[in-house]
Amino acid sequence: MSAIAFRLNGEMRSIATPAETRLSEILRDQYLQTATKVACGIGRCGACTVMMNGQAVNACLVMAWQIEGADIVSPEGLGAFETARIVKAALIEENAFQCGYCAPGFLMALTVLFLSNRQAGEPEILSALEGNLCRCTGYHSILRGALSAANRLRPGAASETGDPS
Amino acid sequence: MAGLPHPGSLEVLHPASVQDALDLLQGDARLVAGGTALQLEWARGLPKPTRLIDLGRIPGLKGITGDAAGLRIGALSSLGLLCSSERVAHHLPMLQAAARTVAGPAVRNLATLGGNIVARTGCLLPALLALDATLEVTGRDGRFREPLSGWLRRPADPAEVLEAVHLPVPDSQSRWTQRKIGLRAAFTPSVIGIAGRLDCHDGTIVAARLAVGGGIVVPRRLYEIERRLTGQDVAGIDWPALGSALIAAIDAPDDAFRSGRYRRMVAANALVQGLRDAGRSRLAEGPVPQRSAELEMPRTPTEIRLSRTDQPHHWHVRPDMEPKVSGTLSYLTDRREAGMLVGRILRAGRPHARILSIDTRAAEALPGVVAVVTHRDIRGENAFGIVVQDQPAFCFNKVRYVGDPVAAVAAVDAATAEAALALIRVDYEDLPIVTDSEEALSDAAPAIHAGGNLQRILHFSRGDVAAGFGAAAHVVERRYETSRQMHGFMETEGGFARVEPDGSLAVFVGGQHGARDRLQLARILGRPEETIRVVTSPTGGAFGGKDELTVQPALALLAIKSGKPVRLQLSRAESVISGIKRHPMIIRMRTACDAAGRLIAQEVDLLADAGAYASLGPGVLETALEHVAGPYVIPHVSTRGRLAYTNNGVCGAFRGFGANQMTYAIECQMDALAELCGLTPVEIRRRNLRAQGSPGFLGQTVAPSERLADMLEAAAASPLWDDPGPGDGEEVIGTGMALNYQGNGLGSLVPDPAGGRLRLRADGLIEAAYGLDEMGQGLLTSVQAAVSAELGISRDDILPVTGDTALAPDSSSTSASRGGYVVWRAAQLAGPEFSARLTDAAARLLDRPADGLKLAPGGIADRRSNSGRLLMRFRDLAEALAPEALPSVTVAFDFPKTEYTASNARYIFAFGACIVRVAVSRITGAVRVLDIHQHTAAGPVLDVAAYLGQMEGGAIQGLGFTLTEDARMLDGAYVTANLDTYMLPGIRDTARSLSVVALEGLDDGDGLGPRGAGELGIGAITPAIANAVGKAIGQTACKTPLTVPFCPEGLLDAIGARV
Repeated sequence: MSAIAFRLNGEMRSIATPAETRLSEILRDQYLQTATKVACGIGRCGACTVMMNGQAVNACLVMAWQIEGADIVSPEGLGAFETARIVKAALIEENAFQCGYCAPGFLMALTVLFLSNRQAGEPEILSALEGNLCRCTGYHSILRGALSAANRLRPGAASETGDPS
Repeated sequence: MAGLPHPGSLEVLHPASVQDALDLLQGDARLVAGGTALQLEWARGLPKPTRLIDLGRIPGLKGITGDAAGLRIGALSSLGLLCSSERVAHHLPMLQAAARTVAGPAVRNLATLGGNIVARTGCLLPALLALDATLEVTGRDGRFREPLSGWLRRPADPAEVLEAVHLPVPDSQSRWTQRKIGLRAAFTPSVIGIAGRLDCHDGTIVAARLAVGGGIVVPRRLYEIERRLTGQDVAGIDWPALGSALIAAIDAPDDAFRSGRYRRMVAANALVQGLRDAGRSRLAEGPVPQRSAELEMPRTPTEIRLSRTDQPHHWHVRPDMEPKVSGTLSYLTDRREAGMLVGRILRAGRPHARILSIDTRAAEALPGVVAVVTHRDIRGENAFGIVVQDQPAFCFNKVRYVGDPVAAVAAVDAATAEAALALIRVDYEDLPIVTDSEEALSDAAPAIHAGGNLQRILHFSRGDVAAGFGAAAHVVERRYETSRQMHGFMETEGGFARVEPDGSLAVFVGGQHGARDRLQLARILGRPEETIRVVTSPTGGAFGGKDELTVQPALALLAIKSGKPVRLQLSRAESVISGIKRHPMIIRMRTACDAAGRLIAQEVDLLADAGAYASLGPGVLETALEHVAGPYVIPHVSTRGRLAYTNNGVCGAFRGFGANQMTYAIECQMDALAELCGLTPVEIRRRNLRAQGSPGFLGQTVAPSERLADMLEAAAASPLWDDPGPGDGEEVIGTGMALNYQGNGLGSLVPDPAGGRLRLRADGLIEAAYGLDEMGQGLLTSVQAAVSAELGISRDDILPVTGDTALAPDSSSTSASRGGYVVWRAAQLAGPEFSARLTDAAARLLDRPADGLKLAPGGIADRRSNSGRLLMRFRDLAEALAPEALPSVTVAFDFPKTEYTASNARYIFAFGACIVRVAVSRITGAVRVLDIHQHTAAGPVLDVAAYLGQMEGGAIQGLGFTLTEDARMLDGAYVTANLDTYMLPGIRDTARSLSVVALEGLDDGDGLGPRGAGELGIGAITPAIANAVGKAIGQTACKTPLTVPFCPEGLLDAIGARV
């Protein structure tokens, strides 16, 4: 068991853990960052979506050995991203979620989408959310929130983002 | 105390070259790229290797190079790269389309092209074959290139590394098609995938490539068909003949989800349609659900449309929304603290067996294990169950289903607890099993319980059914069958428990009725209820599936035995095998009407599979039978309902509680009878609708303010009925409706007490305490809505306190659509006195007469003033009062009931009409729901967003039940192990448009307030979709699907060959 060094929400971390420990377990059990939820454990629900090197990944599918040198952003770290704050505000205003267990995963997936594509509209939103399951809402409230976020983020809209690069 | 070094801990090596990787490849070592398949494989029980050889750091294996002649794609390139690459989009659109169908976007960012290929089951293989992919491989003897088609034909050589894929760029004139047929619209396992390409020159096919593969279908090219097409004139292709030839040429096996025949049919259909419709590429997005502005849902002047934009002044953000979205809300399964142990439960893993012995000594001896519990640790009754106590907390003499708990372990960490489970030795003697509910009731069936397998039988009859049928002009007799739906709450069952310093026990597990959980725990543990605190909120979804005890007994026993806090959360796989499901039902329904379409007689025979234990099954059976006539009047009725024990998974409460299954049957019968009578669906319902004020189905008095006629007329006015046209060629379109008539509350025979409390806290907040649970339905926002409206204060003045037996009075269960009423009624009952106590206290402090004061947002105001100016803030008032003088009013009342006691009957009902428009694919038989319009009447809407959420969420849960969801069991084992094959609807499956309106008004003098919204959204969805599908595929109700979830193969057969 050798130490694995990676960046978590902007801070360098080093952790000694078995190579196959999942990132979801590292976040929840070692760093007590429980916003990352686990609802299937096999990459089939999206509740554990985190950002790794700028991309959305399922934390339950990422093993400790795969995060060596990686830049990880968990939901706890999204506050540093203006885009995430705008998306979050839009989702909240729309009452996008019910039980909320899937919500951080959706926020993460949408944030990653809009970080890479400020112009993303409904087709891109639907594609980006294909891997996130919600049991309570039937998705329309989430879509309304996401479309509202898209409007706020569209170039020319009032808000300009100052996201960490 | 330290835990074990992790068993099976693996070593990961990072070679810098392919040669090094091959040199390291010894023993059980395994090459790994993205690694996304590993968790699935390990979850299936495949062994973990001791060594992984990571290919990720080898230079040259990632990235896309090449030009217009051909591309080289490194094997370690992620599928995400294939999806986003402009070069791939430009030169190999078929590959990009295929890549977009693999898993979900986050998985694709890890998964690689090479991994998809070497698995030999990957969804890219048909496209790669059709694109003439050549693999660049390094083996023991060096690097070589080999066509993918040939590589697939020979056995895999483990001592090879796939380095890259070479793909010639097809001629721009080639027409191509690609499609993955799955179990739902996207993010799905492959049923079969197809890819086809015709290279043409002056209208003549010069080269053809057709391939199938994916999932269990062996990937291969269809050479015989390719030869047949080559040289042909494209315009002269006999497409139907090609389809037949394809069906004969494709080889595809059956599995539990789809037949080989279906796979062949859809693959042939997709290839024919795709190649025929001239290169019209189908991108992976599939059908994009656009909202249909042209079909704006109409509403009557008294209905309100529910949305943020329509109700801006009634739209309130839930108090728990921000912490939920940001993830700061701590669910009960999120608790982590120093010294907390981790619990795991040992499940039977077999459907029926006698327990000969349980030996836990080796597990107890394992370092890091702190407690092991079995039935021997139970001091009270080893039996629980909300209706009958037939379920052991831990099995002692036998196990009755795969998920039965036998023992549990608490250890210092999860790995140690897991290892300890493997050391518990249980000797079983397997017993014969019975898994068919009909067979379970035969004399020859093995008895699952001592009293036999007939858990319950219920009869009801009225009038003279034989005479009724004798006088009938039309009779429809059908058998409806419904599936084992899983609740699929995102947060699986779990939480934590601890013994408090005073010796009391605290159990924190998401639930739906803390006081009842406490009662059941007290019985099991043999200790007084007062020594147990149960916290049940918040919980990440329940839908009935957390109404019964889940992991509470194991957690409680582990905490008591270890003396330490213990947390435990079921994995999804364990939740699937142990958790409660919706009862599969077989409903035989025979319904007669006269020539004018007036119902005369009905016979119903219902058989429900309880699984191994009763739980709330008897209640579900009653409720189903109470809804056999829907909202219609049938003079002569005879019903029988039976609930059978089997060795299947346990069934129990689930949103709708049996009513939605029965509504499916009766509402489909209505459409079938309408057709026989030559009436429209609306007209036959109009002729049979129960009259307001008439007795309920069982003869009971029912509550006023029935709104069925309004619902029906709203449905009649729907624009969805307008002829939608034939569809775009691939799909056939149809519209259907169903009425909804959902009983609220637990019924006349079941104690249904409720209560609540209002209290001024020392910090000036007004606490509204209810023993109800926030499961996502919006309890907290509803509490704020009801209490603020009653007291005339702001929502922000109110602190809802729920789901904690120590902090809130018992309000009974959060189920049966009763929570909304309880919230409102408690506020209504407690409000005036609480208000008076506050103004009295303020009057004394302000030295003003109390009758000149009122409550206002934020505090106490002058009764005559509308300025909003406060005389005193609540906070000031609270601070001025001694703690014991802070006003507190507790109320208790019963949920309204009918006086009828011959059987369990409902008094309050909620009403709805659901109109649905669907498109059924001629290629796959898959149903796409275009529009759902829900008209609802459940009294005053407490909170617009919460009500809307219940309707929308219920609708799509119903859509899933109807179209994709089924926890399949075979021989007592779940075939569906996790969310990879249990198909919850995804964002691509949801209805394209979803509109909800509410009719709020009550009759004069109706003091019953808001009706339940919790189950109204789901109730009529299945029959509305069924009736729409019947219309779509045959323009006849005779083709309405009779089995849920609908079988695409059956729908394809019903449509007939029209591709």
